[in-house]
Amino acid sequence: MGSLTISNVTKTFGSTEVLKGINIDIADGEFLILVGPSGCGKSTLMNTIAGLEEVTTGQLLLAGEDVTERSPKDRDIAMVFQSYALYPTMNVARNISFGLEMRGVPKQERDQRVQEVSTLLQINHLLDRKPSQLSGGQRQRVAMGRALARSPRVYLFDEPLSNLDAKLRVEMRTEIKKLHKRLGTTIVYVTHDQIEAMTLADRIAVMKDGVVQQLGTPNEIYDNPANQFVAGFMGSPPMNFVPCEVNSDGSLAIDTSGHSLSLTIPQSSTLKAQNISRVILGLRPEMLTEPKPERAGDSVMALEMDFDVTEPMGADTIAIGEWNGIEILARLSPEAGLRAGKSTPVQVDLSKVVLFDPESGERIR
Amino acid sequence: MGNSNMSIGRYAIYACLMIFAVLYLMPLYVMITTSLKDIEEIRQGNLLSLPAAPTLYAWAKAWGSACTGSECEGLAPFFFNSIRIVVPAVLISTLIGALNGYVLAKWRFRGSEFLFAALLFGCFIPFQVILLPMARLLATFGLANTVTGLVLVHVIYGVAFTTLFFRNFYVSVPTELVKAAQLDGANFFQIFRHIFLPISLPIFTVTIIWQFTQIWNDFLFGVVYSGQGTQPITVALNNLVNTSVGGKEYNVDMAAALIAALPTLVVYVLAGKYFVRGLTAGAVKG
Repeated sequence: MGSLTISNVTKTFGSTEVLKGINIDIADGEFLILVGPSGCGKSTLMNTIAGLEEVTTGQLLLAGEDVTERSPKDRDIAMVFQSYALYPTMNVARNISFGLEMRGVPKQERDQRVQEVSTLLQINHLLDRKPSQLSGGQRQRVAMGRALARSPRVYLFDEPLSNLDAKLRVEMRTEIKKLHKRLGTTIVYVTHDQIEAMTLADRIAVMKDGVVQQLGTPNEIYDNPANQFVAGFMGSPPMNFVPCEVNSDGSLAIDTSGHSLSLTIPQSSTLKAQNISRVILGLRPEMLTEPKPERAGDSVMALEMDFDVTEPMGADTIAIGEWNGIEILARLSPEAGLRAGKSTPVQVDLSKVVLFDPESGERIR
Repeated sequence: MGNSNMSIGRYAIYACLMIFAVLYLMPLYVMITTSLKDIEEIRQGNLLSLPAAPTLYAWAKAWGSACTGSECEGLAPFFFNSIRIVVPAVLISTLIGALNGYVLAKWRFRGSEFLFAALLFGCFIPFQVILLPMARLLATFGLANTVTGLVLVHVIYGVAFTTLFFRNFYVSVPTELVKAAQLDGANFFQIFRHIFLPISLPIFTVTIIWQFTQIWNDFLFGVVYSGQGTQPITVALNNLVNTSVGGKEYNVDMAAALIAALPTLVVYVLAGKYFVRGLTAGAVKG
């Protein structure tokens, strides 16, 4: 059992409040990702879970037991560090078995465990090498092996892939996902890479300034962001944010390339009812595309736009235009991207637009 | 022919270096040759000439029978006094320094930076300042004129330096290693023993050479805090040179000085390359 409950955890360093009351319930076997910009407190939260830093107030429950006051070694938690933190003078086998050695596991059992883990991670042939003789990807595997060897109740990953090159990162990402499927152990994973977060997580906790902004599945976070920060942080290229006036009928006034448009959106009746006059429109780039007859519907609207710049990405092309004087990204097919320029016909799918309060950045539903 | 101009410049530089090398080595040469001559030859001969009939008489006398004050047993007993002082003092101060450095680098606590600064201050306290208080302290502990007392003095004085060395070395060790080991279940001393000690050879070498040289060559503490039978070799050398029975035996003086200087030379020759490596260890990440 490896459920983990983080309850009202705060952490202050001197007068700086780094964690401001964190509440997260992590189910047994869940893959939870903590994501946020640097300085948001995600690594501090990780360290408090590991017991490397004490919480100022609050409680940590591991499988229902209060572990708030326990030392790291008594929490049955293993961690993979960003820098791998392999012991430089020990060979791979000893690096993997060190935790077992410190816990008094007999030599024979340790050797067997090293064999199992190294087979699982395909590092059998490296067991006699020192960390300095390994490549980045190999070190990464050894670091994971060290965590796996003890079969702990919870694994913590602190930005484990950020020191790898792009190709290896994608490979290891898949490997971690497979590993989680296979082991089914609870994982808490810190990253600032939102693609990693989207691809790996069962649930994502988006953090900013020591506060969890939103906790939800990748789809919830992506389609239903709690506020403008979350909406802007998740997704690449990022969501478009366009400040708009609200017309008296609840539609949004958009001015693009000399045309004035009125966008009637699913939330229009709410806006009218609540008498809201200004909003920030949040629109994912993939909702603004070349005309696709097969996707036509009530919420799809055709319009023409001028695009100044196109950025071909291979699978699709990002075209940059302007709404209400704000740069806006559209995601076109490569063919449409080639034709993009003055007065390009496009369509906008308004079914998934989100609205934010211009002052607070909070979601208007 | 620009090449020959170059080489003339080169020759000038080499010649200059040679002259200085000779100048610097001259005293050593004089000491060694003089120690191998007999006293007659020294009186009559040239200071720079090679010994006509090399003899180890002066070395034997300096070691075994020269007079240091009223006794005439040579330097041998004092040499062993020095060993008895230096070995424990070096080992203890180095071990304490290693632990201190480990704590100050990786187990920061409230006020640890202040403590480190205060400890550093210890490196700059002149010997003379502590002479009287230390004498008082040793008397209180009943350690006046004992080898233990001298060891204590050297350990206390050395800890500031050894801590500085080890702390600066360990600061460059990634803290994540400590965290990883903590999660692996290692305690404070296990982390020190399994993670830190194995990477510490260069800094141990530096510290041991430094401490050995400092303590072996110390004269002031030796002369102040030692008593009959516990004097270190530096004090004995001074006494030997200042005691004259009949004429002055320069060859014995020279041999005695060489005997007193030999251990530090040996240590440096044996471990010198680690010394240089260790001093620059913090600069380049290994």
